[in-house]
Amino acid sequence: MLITVVIGIPALYVFVKLFDGPGESWAHIAEYLLPKYVKNSLYLALICAFQTVLFGVTSAWFSVRYEFYGRRILEWLLILPLAIPSYITAYAYAGIFDYGGSLNLLLGWFSLDVGRIDLMNINGLTLILSISLYPYVYVACRAFFLHRSQNLIDASQVLGKGEVQHFFKLILPMARPAIVGGVILVLMEVLNDYGAAKYYGVNTFTTGIFKSWFGYREPETAIYLAALLLVIIFALILIEQKQRGTRKFAINGGSERQLQRLKCSRLKQIWVTTLVALPVFLGFIAPVIQLVYWAVISYVKIDWIALLHVILQSLSIAALAAFCCVLVATSLLMAKEWNRLNWVNQISKIGVLGYAIPGAVIAVGVYIPGLYFDKWLIDFVGQTFSTKIGLLLTGTVMALIYAYIVRFLAVAFNPISASREKIQFGLVQASQSLGKGAFSTFIKVELPLLKPALLGAFILVFIDVMKELPLTLILKPFDVQTLAIEAYQFASDERIIEAAMPSLLIIATGVLPIIFLNRLVSKS
Amino acid sequence: MLLSVDHLYKSFNLGKVQAVYDISLQLEAGKAYAFLGESGSGKTTLARLIAGLECPDRGEIHLNDELISSDSYHLPAEKRAVGFVFQHYALFPHLTIAKNVEYGISGNPGKRERVDEMLRLVNLEGYGKRYPHEISGGQQQRVALARALAPDPKLILLDEPFSNLDNHLRQKLRTEVFTILQNTGVCSVFITHNSEDAMAISDEVLVLREGKLLQQATPTVLYNQPSSSYVARFFDTLVDLPQALLESFEYHGEKNKIYFLKNHHFRVDGSGDFRANASVVRTLCLGKDYLVEVKVGEYTFELSTPKPPESSEIYIGWRQQDLLIFDPENSR
Repeated sequence: MLITVVIGIPALYVFVKLFDGPGESWAHIAEYLLPKYVKNSLYLALICAFQTVLFGVTSAWFSVRYEFYGRRILEWLLILPLAIPSYITAYAYAGIFDYGGSLNLLLGWFSLDVGRIDLMNINGLTLILSISLYPYVYVACRAFFLHRSQNLIDASQVLGKGEVQHFFKLILPMARPAIVGGVILVLMEVLNDYGAAKYYGVNTFTTGIFKSWFGYREPETAIYLAALLLVIIFALILIEQKQRGTRKFAINGGSERQLQRLKCSRLKQIWVTTLVALPVFLGFIAPVIQLVYWAVISYVKIDWIALLHVILQSLSIAALAAFCCVLVATSLLMAKEWNRLNWVNQISKIGVLGYAIPGAVIAVGVYIPGLYFDKWLIDFVGQTFSTKIGLLLTGTVMALIYAYIVRFLAVAFNPISASREKIQFGLVQASQSLGKGAFSTFIKVELPLLKPALLGAFILVFIDVMKELPLTLILKPFDVQTLAIEAYQFASDERIIEAAMPSLLIIATGVLPIIFLNRLVSKS
Repeated sequence: MLLSVDHLYKSFNLGKVQAVYDISLQLEAGKAYAFLGESGSGKTTLARLIAGLECPDRGEIHLNDELISSDSYHLPAEKRAVGFVFQHYALFPHLTIAKNVEYGISGNPGKRERVDEMLRLVNLEGYGKRYPHEISGGQQQRVALARALAPDPKLILLDEPFSNLDNHLRQKLRTEVFTILQNTGVCSVFITHNSEDAMAISDEVLVLREGKLLQQATPTVLYNQPSSSYVARFFDTLVDLPQALLESFEYHGEKNKIYFLKNHHFRVDGSGDFRANASVVRTLCLGKDYLVEVKVGEYTFELSTPKPPESSEIYIGWRQQDLLIFDPENSR
């Protein structure tokens, strides 16, 4: 209960501020910039939604429906673009398509010249975001396709429909909830993105928040923008729930047969392989090659000791945040279980909304109430104990960790809660009938069973924190540096080549756990 | 002949599981058939082979004298005009009832009329705009039937059509479905593990076991002249009659035959062609019948009778014509 309230503060604060009125430069922003923010953000969201569906749905469908060369590897390679934060993909592509960039260099060997392909605009940005975010749609659809289709495809087939008709008349409309679920995640990420939009010079809501914060030095305006963005996001969630309405897409009862893979001719297999490999190449392989190339040429410039310092800081912050997130998520879950009151359940839902709220909004929502809290605490301690203390929350690692928990709690909560639901209630009852109380049942029975889920949740939050940029940028203490910030700063200082090494390190920390998780999943 | 199947084989898991083993059969137009068998008997696989949802390893299937399946040729399911009603109905959850029924109808003109006609046929007029999850299980069943009938198939296969329904609804729907199919005149095949269902809805029953076809016959023949003890056991409890027990009844059987009697063919009033002394171990009342455990010599077995025995020492008897005699290979 307390946790939920504490988690809810930033969002609530930002929302309340909507009625408080903005700062001085609001008039200027509203007149000149806001229409652009709205237009750009919506345009980005729309085009990205379309493109990620295109990439995600086709790759998911082909990978579950057909047998083709390299399917096993490609199946999980398709997830890997998630390991690269979109701002890093953006940097890499800027390098690939620049004057004298890798593409020109490559084509130069064949005496071809395409000149400069300008990617540094809003359309380029949609492409970058789409190739780095489509795995959300892919993962959601894949799970859906795998388990829910064969019986219905059989039915469609005996009713005289062919493969193409199955897909368009049956699979696509039925997969709508899965697709929408994936797309919503994509949209959250798109609206959350700061690094890529900033680098490509596209003004969005999130860059606007930063501009009013750091540029105009007007937190009120930043908050006002954040609140507006929040409204848009909640509208989005509402629309999604509304359009789903009362229709059920789940299939009634019965044993569902797994989808059978179709075997096809060699030529067709090559086609499918190429098609499925394309997003992997664009979203992962190409940017990684570019970064490796940069890392190699900037090798001598790297200050290894400083870098090591950043790595250690980054890893420990991420580990600490992930640990706290798992802890909070688990206690929230247990509180929900032990307390049979319905309203507690309802409240716990609010606690996990954080992921929907852009990092910049949370940062603003943490920073300003934190400041008030610190002022109050300093006065209070000063009066009662006559001692002076420094700022406790603002500009400290504590605030940063708190903000991470607010933002990533859902990432930890969902897998743990899903895994908890799979534990038979009988086990808990059996333990209770053997004389164990709720707490010792939890320690002795549930915790061991939840272990893989807890580990998975830890890893997911860990990766997310490693990648996180906008929130960290606003809240980090001066003396703290993370790999993400390092990469961002090099890139903004036009020292993009030097951004390669920290970027590669972030990617590595993302890829290794994914491989590990993949092993874990395929084993069980 | 509408459908003929010749020496069909199908195995799964690289030959480890023989789902269908050397099955040959013929189905006539306009008749109703039942594939009867336990789970794993191959009845569903056989149906899926006929529908074109699986390819056979060997053998051929002809529909209207046209080859539709062999080891080298496979007419895809969507071109066969064979209807299929799936066990769990497989209604498309995102489409309305009307759209579900319309799904398989090709050609635009007359589509709507055909849908209305089908919904009328299955007594679901006015339900067209609802979604599958908004109607009951029995109604879903009829929608599945309407959908399968809508493209006007030559043959319709129904996979365990009543297994999801409770007993009362099952009997009601069984009659309904049977009437609907009779009205359309389509050749129908019910796949079921329930012998009562099979008898009630078909002109001929085909009993399958471990991928093999044991017997194809009308319900009456099947019941009275089962080709093996396995077939007989689908309908009745059999009492094994070893030679020594037969001797007690003063019946002298042949050496290489195995003898059985249905448990309700014993008479406890002392009538019958062959009789023996028996002591009653116990009597259980099962409603309209009594289950009586008796001891004849050293053999103990249970028989079923409408009237309970009057004393603890009785004569039990049976008629010659009721005795079931099989070769050993038919009495596993």
